[in-house]
Amino acid sequence: MLILKTLTRGPMHGYGIAQSIHQISDEVLRVEEGSLYPALHRLELDGLIDSEWGQSSNNRRAKFYRLTPGGRKQLTQESARWRQIANAIARVMEMA
Amino acid sequence: MSRFTKRLRALWRRSQLDRDLEDELAFHLAMGTEEHGDLPAARRGFGNVAGVKESCRDLWAFTSIESWWQDLRYACRTLAAHPMITCVAIIALALGIGANTTVFTVITSALNFDMGVKQLERLAIIVPSDAARRSGVVPPLPDFRELRELKSITNLAAYRYAEVNVSDLRALPERYSCVQMTASGWAVVTRKPLFGRELGTADELPGATPAVLLSHRIWEKRWGGDPSVVGQVVRVDEVPRVIIGVMPPGMQFPEDTDLWTPLTLHDLLTPGAQRSAMIFGQLAPGATPASARTEIEALARRIFPGLGTQPIVNVRPFLELIGVYDSRALLYAVLCAVGFVLLIVCADIANLLLARAAARAREISIRIAIGAGRARIVRQLLVESVLLSAGGGVAGWAVAVAGLRWFDGMSAQGRRPSWVHFSMDPMAFVYLAAISVGAGILFGVAPALELARVDVSGAIKDGGRGADGGIRARRASALLVVFQMAACVVLLAGAGLMVRSSVKLYNAPLAFQPANVLTMQISLPERKYPKADDLIAFYSKLRDRLRSVPGVEGVSLASNLPFAGYVPLRGDVEGHGPTEFGGLVVDAGYLRDMQIRLRRGRTFNALDEASDSASVIVNESFADRYWPGDNPLGKHLKRTAAGGWLTVIGVVPDIQQDFRRLLQRDPLIYVPHAAEPQRSFYVIARAGVAAVSLAETFRRAVQSLDENLPAENVITLQDHIAQRRLSVTAFGKLFTAFAVIALLLAAMGLYGVISYAVSRRTQEIGLRMAMGGTQRDILGLVLRQGMWQVAIGLACGLPLAFLCTRVLNKALIGVSPGDPLTFAGVVLVLGFTGILGCALPAWRAMSVDPLAALRCE
Repeated sequence: MLILKTLTRGPMHGYGIAQSIHQISDEVLRVEEGSLYPALHRLELDGLIDSEWGQSSNNRRAKFYRLTPGGRKQLTQESARWRQIANAIARVMEMA
Repeated sequence: MSRFTKRLRALWRRSQLDRDLEDELAFHLAMGTEEHGDLPAARRGFGNVAGVKESCRDLWAFTSIESWWQDLRYACRTLAAHPMITCVAIIALALGIGANTTVFTVITSALNFDMGVKQLERLAIIVPSDAARRSGVVPPLPDFRELRELKSITNLAAYRYAEVNVSDLRALPERYSCVQMTASGWAVVTRKPLFGRELGTADELPGATPAVLLSHRIWEKRWGGDPSVVGQVVRVDEVPRVIIGVMPPGMQFPEDTDLWTPLTLHDLLTPGAQRSAMIFGQLAPGATPASARTEIEALARRIFPGLGTQPIVNVRPFLELIGVYDSRALLYAVLCAVGFVLLIVCADIANLLLARAAARAREISIRIAIGAGRARIVRQLLVESVLLSAGGGVAGWAVAVAGLRWFDGMSAQGRRPSWVHFSMDPMAFVYLAAISVGAGILFGVAPALELARVDVSGAIKDGGRGADGGIRARRASALLVVFQMAACVVLLAGAGLMVRSSVKLYNAPLAFQPANVLTMQISLPERKYPKADDLIAFYSKLRDRLRSVPGVEGVSLASNLPFAGYVPLRGDVEGHGPTEFGGLVVDAGYLRDMQIRLRRGRTFNALDEASDSASVIVNESFADRYWPGDNPLGKHLKRTAAGGWLTVIGVVPDIQQDFRRLLQRDPLIYVPHAAEPQRSFYVIARAGVAAVSLAETFRRAVQSLDENLPAENVITLQDHIAQRRLSVTAFGKLFTAFAVIALLLAAMGLYGVISYAVSRRTQEIGLRMAMGGTQRDILGLVLRQGMWQVAIGLACGLPLAFLCTRVLNKALIGVSPGDPLTFAGVVLVLGFTGILGCALPAWRAMSVDPLAALRCE
């Protein structure tokens, strides 16, 4: 979900995805590279993201990932569910 | 695009994908290097690069399939790298698997009789009880009409089996088997005729046109498969009958027969007729043979109030009538025997692989060290062994086809039911595949587990040589050898017993001279030869005609050939009262032509050719049983069926008439044929030339006397005897073949294990010799090790064999299943084989040069 969300900001390469998640979460979340690439490939296989080769900012060849319409839909569904659960947890926590 | 097609495409562009992945990760690391400053730091941050690659690749690929494929290719390479071992293993497996498939096919074919009847297993026969049969007094049974009222048996039917003469203008008359069956019997038959119709109730009505139904076999043989045959007329025992149909091939209900004719109620109710018929029916839903029997007993007691309490009938499954089915225990024994052979093969190959496992320890250790899981190693080794056994299976298929052809040829000489066709059906292929894979796993599992447990660092350090294979591996192979020995004991015992049976069969004195004797069977139909005088006249004409054939020295008649049964008789014996014995009806020339030497008295003479002859000849068993110690000549006996007292004029040696009970001596009498004219006779001709050459002349001679009369079973006496012995000799040969193969394999196994042990202990042996050990000590050392395994194998195998050979009881002749002589022989043979297996390695151990052995350390 985090990967999908990150990709809403536009096509990005693996290293970029890891960096941006790290930065946006104020360095709380750190995506293990060991699981990032398998996850990316799985999403690609599932048709949620697409990939193409392009030039990186420092002129290297890099593989850029991009959300597909299916991925977008999946993201809306998942963030809705996430919000539901997060709210529920928050309410329970406040009650107590 | 679905996941699946993406993966398929990925499979196609394999290298492209790999490169992409490589680039992608390289890029990541490059970026990381920029951030962290140097590559190693970036790597540390990243973690296991190869692992990530692996798991990404797994996503894209059908990893499981691909890794199997990898294993398979690797296995092929390994097997190809050791062509000798592979060849030996595949040949051994091919023999084992091929033999198993052959036997399996033969047995399933023989037991595969659907007979074209619904619920064959629910059919039951009604027979007199054993108690009633033993007492000799046949109790009255309710007649067929009364039995039809039974509630527990539906579709009550009856049939009679007869041999009939069939003649028409189309071909020479021939003798066929014929079943007369009631229409109610046809009601349970599900197979429909190929042409025409089957028999129905209409055919049983008085005044119906006599009908006959043909089997597929004789329709092809005699009528050349001509479809216009329906409606034609043939004479069956001189009765013109209309052919109403042809049954499909394989139809053999209720017996293996050539023709079917109707059996009417009128036929059944004539006095005595029901006795010769087999009465059967379907058990009603919920009924059991026991409940049916109770109902019949109650019915009988209502009809015949005078009956005692003794049971009079027995209700048994119809299946028991089928000989093959009845002897299925023996067939399964053969299957087990051949299964043992395969197990021994497996043990051999397992040993071979165990020995190689030590050599492969280094390779496996390296594979484990660079990250292969032990499960994966086991799998890979198993793939290797299954591949090996699959190769054996393919070769085994060829062996099975050859084996079947051999067996088919052999059994065609004997009397084989027509429904048996030995062919590889899909079931046989499934069986072949199953035992191939099963064998592969069986012999592969121990070595594979052994290897997977290898101590990685030790094995790599040792450089393979010292990788000891471990105590465990050596114990495993010793165990395998013990198992082989035990299995051998079982097989050897079975083979020994069967061989002893055949030897007994062959060594039993025949008391007659079988060479150069031609025999044939003639049966005169009642319609054309109604009176006893007609029979006597025909047979005397026939004998005269045959005696005039050049080369024939004598022609005579007998109601039964040796090994072909006798006529059961009841009668009175002087000094004994009523009793039962067997009899042969022969003419005066029989004893002379068979060259049977009389023990006492005289043979029949011309006077005994008259119908009022009161002479009888008995065999030694008869004389011993009824007049032990007395002179039997001049004693008297009487047959219940016919007339006055007969006087014993001679005693002949025992001749085997019932070949199944070899050592049981049957009291028999020989009655002159004039006093007891038979419809059916064996004609026996002693020739001065090779008997076979006369067959055609004999057939034509019979024809010239009665053109509608077939000469059946024209065969030499020697062939006749061989036929009767076939089952015993065939099983004997089969078991012996299995046992010899098993013995060879077990010897090989022992040899392998011992020589491997010797090669491992070369240094130790060298040391012993250097310390002053003699060659004798070394010999003892090696032999002790080998014979120890043989001894344990014997200890385990003997009790097992003792249990297993019980199954053979039915097939054994004159030998008990626990025959001590056979078992002693087994011990000797196995011991000898054991010594042979150890001898070569022991000799090699003795010739070890102590200096060389020590120096190589």
